[in-house]
Amino acid sequence: MFNFVGPWQRLTLGLWLLVGISLLFVDIDIISLDPWGELLRMGQGLLTPDFFATESLANALWQTVSFALLGVTFGLLLGSPLALVYRSPWVAASCAMVRGIHEIFWALLFLQVFGLSPVTGVLAIALPYGATFARVFHDILQQAPSSTKETLPIGCDRLSAYFYGKLGHVLPLMLAYVRYRFECALRSSAVLGFIGMPTLGFYLETAFRQGKYHEGAALLILFVVLIGTIPLWSRRRLLPLYLLAALFTLPKLTGVDLQLVWQFLTFDILPPGIREVIHGQQGLEQGLTRFASWWQRLTLEQALPGAAASLVLAVSALGLTHLLALLGHRFASMHSRGKFSMPLGQLLLLIMRSMPEYILAFIFMMLCGPSMLPAILALGLHNGALIAYLLTRQDSLVRPSEQYQRRGDHYGFEVLPRIYPNLMSLLFYRFEVILRETAIFGVLGVMTLGFYVDSAFSEIRYNNAFYLLIVTALLNVLVDSLARRMLAKRLNQGMAVGQVSCVV
Amino acid sequence: MLQIESLSLSYRDTRVIDDLDLSIKRGESLAIVGPSGAGKSTLLSYLYQQLKQDAALCSQSQGLVDGLSVFHNVYMGALARHSAVYNLLNLAWPMAGRRQEVELLCRELYLDAPLHKPVSSLSGGQRQRVALARALYQEKTTFIGDESFSALDPVMAQRLLSLVKARHETVIMVLHDSELALSHFDRIIGLSDGKLVLDKPASLLDGEQLACFFDTQMATS
Repeated sequence: MFNFVGPWQRLTLGLWLLVGISLLFVDIDIISLDPWGELLRMGQGLLTPDFFATESLANALWQTVSFALLGVTFGLLLGSPLALVYRSPWVAASCAMVRGIHEIFWALLFLQVFGLSPVTGVLAIALPYGATFARVFHDILQQAPSSTKETLPIGCDRLSAYFYGKLGHVLPLMLAYVRYRFECALRSSAVLGFIGMPTLGFYLETAFRQGKYHEGAALLILFVVLIGTIPLWSRRRLLPLYLLAALFTLPKLTGVDLQLVWQFLTFDILPPGIREVIHGQQGLEQGLTRFASWWQRLTLEQALPGAAASLVLAVSALGLTHLLALLGHRFASMHSRGKFSMPLGQLLLLIMRSMPEYILAFIFMMLCGPSMLPAILALGLHNGALIAYLLTRQDSLVRPSEQYQRRGDHYGFEVLPRIYPNLMSLLFYRFEVILRETAIFGVLGVMTLGFYVDSAFSEIRYNNAFYLLIVTALLNVLVDSLARRMLAKRLNQGMAVGQVSCVV
Repeated sequence: MLQIESLSLSYRDTRVIDDLDLSIKRGESLAIVGPSGAGKSTLLSYLYQQLKQDAALCSQSQGLVDGLSVFHNVYMGALARHSAVYNLLNLAWPMAGRRQEVELLCRELYLDAPLHKPVSSLSGGQRQRVALARALYQEKTTFIGDESFSALDPVMAQRLLSLVKARHETVIMVLHDSELALSHFDRIIGLSDGKLVLDKPASLLDGEQLACFFDTQMATS
């Protein structure tokens, strides 16, 4: 009888077992005094958005686009060559570490060095995006069938063989992925406003903190429209023009104090004990003892509790994402319901996936106070909608039989089993992203790893921040490789996991 | 049962069926033959649309769901018989009674794969029999099949055809095997370029007369 519990059912049960365990530890109290009143005021703001409140609205949107554009461009310049040497474990490992640290933390790090300069924002996007491009391009290139290369004439040079036999197969896939990442970069760029970049997030935070919901709603609506209309304004021919414009309209570069940078690298981020030994202020033995006690305290008091909270939050959010992705696809798929619910569902998915998790969480936090609840809701809604959207794009490949009716049970037999492997692989790929995002909710006050990183930055203890960031990255790498291994057993060999299937 | 007069069907601006008259009586077994592109499958799906209420279709594309087990793929034939809740329950946890029914049906079709096996791991012949089992499990009075035995050996094809005929009042089938058509069907109609060019009782025909309706024989002659 248990024969019918196949690998996907087992994976689902395992997932929910984990979710159940983490729900035991999760903290989801509503701390706010008057959540309903606040919600009412926000709702009013949303219904009557004021598009003329911020005089620099157009500028905010353009800066958001231009940071994203420059970030992706530099990311491509960095990632494309790395993709060719990604086979080397050293390259792969360092890319994984760079990816494991969220844009916001890169920005916080660069902020200490470059100050509030556009370099900080662009680098904060370019670095993790470049590392991601390296990995995904490598994966995509591996997928190219080897049959073409075998039929090329003998004596064909390597470069032509590479371009014709390999790149030709997968170039559309790579371009589609770049397009998708550009959308992500727009979100990252908007969020960087929260730490002081002149992008959308900056104005959003100001508006919401001051309770100017009409203004905040206008910004949010414009942002959703901006993302929803990407295919309209982001034409390939216009891109060079946009890039030039982005370069010329960047806020003024501030000079970099090289002495400050030098001190940051050789003194500030070194752990206590070690740095005294290096600079000859302390003996080796004494220094090591000091380092050990610093390391022990930081690990026990901050790194481990932070990591545990991050995991609990991420797994709970994963459960909600799973539910919402299923629900979202059921609602917005062309194989379910009538003509009207589909466009409505698609619109809802667009709105939810356009909103960066960080902004969603920020809004929910205004409503119910700083517990894990806003973070879980934000992660679940954004990622669930994104997965559901990516699944609906593959709907036309699913051909139900002649007997198919648009009912729940028919959907369960004919559509769900066909999309489920893809749903799970997207979900597990998103787990890495979710875990990365949990860290940044620390900036909003949830006690994840990011909370301790943020506090370390504001207490100017750069060495603590640096160590905690490394722990964050390691946790990400570890969890990602575990998730991939779990999934790889269930997918056919050669089928790349998650990331690639989000673009096909 | 069905009366068609001067039927014309187009597929993407190309006329596939041209001015066709056909009547089908209840209790008949009808074989449709013709070379590739003659319009057989188009005619068959038209017939299915007309007879939908009492007919089960076993199409060439099979419509199997790779991720589901043999049981679930066969059970899908009965989706219309049960309530939505019951169907969903069976999706999560197959009921003993339904499993026995499906198991019996599979045994009759000489399908020895375990019921819980996903159909993605079956051979071509086994997949075809799962699709056939799904059509039989619909328990309709008319069977409409599009080359339902193409992946099976002749002996197996004859056995299964007998089973299909025993369980259905009326059988309409596109065939690629003149022997099978001659020995098991009452009536044979032949299509060529969308026109009906042959409509005779099988007893009045022989293999040579049918030869021009099959691609393979055309190639050798």
